[in-house]
Amino acid sequence: MDKTDLSIIEKLTEEARTSFREIARELGVSPDTVINRYEALQETGVIRGSTVVINPKKIGYQAMAVFMIDASPTHIMATETTPTESSQILEKLIEMRNIIIATKTVGDHDLLAIGVARDFDHLTNIGADIAKIPGVKDLQVSFWIEKAELCPEYFII
Amino acid sequence: MNSNAGIDEIDVRIIRALQKDARTTFTDIARDCGVSTDTISKRFRKMEKAGVIRGTTILLNPKSFGHDCVASLGINVSYPHLNEVAELLRTIPEIVFYTSSMGRSDIFCIAVLNNVGRLSQVKDLIKGHPMVREVTTSIWVDEILLCPENFEFEHLDR
Repeated sequence: MDKTDLSIIEKLTEEARTSFREIARELGVSPDTVINRYEALQETGVIRGSTVVINPKKIGYQAMAVFMIDASPTHIMATETTPTESSQILEKLIEMRNIIIATKTVGDHDLLAIGVARDFDHLTNIGADIAKIPGVKDLQVSFWIEKAELCPEYFII
Repeated sequence: MNSNAGIDEIDVRIIRALQKDARTTFTDIARDCGVSTDTISKRFRKMEKAGVIRGTTILLNPKSFGHDCVASLGINVSYPHLNEVAELLRTIPEIVFYTSSMGRSDIFCIAVLNNVGRLSQVKDLIKGHPMVREVTTSIWVDEILLCPENFEFEHLDR
């Protein structure tokens, strides 16, 4: 990545809809250069996609929560190709409404999911739904009501 | 439930399209909705103005920038010293997100670090604070799935 790539990334991080023409003008390069660089950054996986950042509070979400999940031991000798319990749980998590980030983790738990909830009933229901996923052994929750004290301006939450 | 949001079917379709790809043209969205491009662009600006839409952004791979380790930390502190610990967190540049929380941890944060060695240093730094009782760390493995499209809108009155 060179300076031009980083400038393109910077512009699009602040406003993903900025036209390539405008970026080209600002950087003093041709629009084709910007398009080619953007496509290359996508192909090499530097840019994974683009999205709109919404304010959950404005659409009726009162709380955010992080769910820390432990998977049951399977007692099956896993090979490289065996789908693991955590992978199967992860697949279910990302299909769940109101779960907006999910990942497998190494360390204190096996998986982590971040979700948005309308109220306490809703939060409890989301927790119950996660607990129902086969292979989930234990679930711990932390939640917050106010906007986070520190949050990147363009974080998806 | 939250009628003052004033979001209707077209607004939701705009958000859904942009959640998948923020660069989708208003012309394409207009065609899908069967309305004019002008309507879409007006709706978008209306939602921006109302603060429903905070902006659009690209999703980057931290690894491409030399950050090989993304981790979350749960911190438990001796009350009422939350703010003192928060002050320490603010001095650690790798911590990109933190919030005081209820439930399992008093503070939840996300750190983007160069490597696991640095995570260990950051954890020790936090553990060194006299008001910190417990720090739990989880390293996020490669496949971090962002799924903003899981936001529900069905509860809104419209």
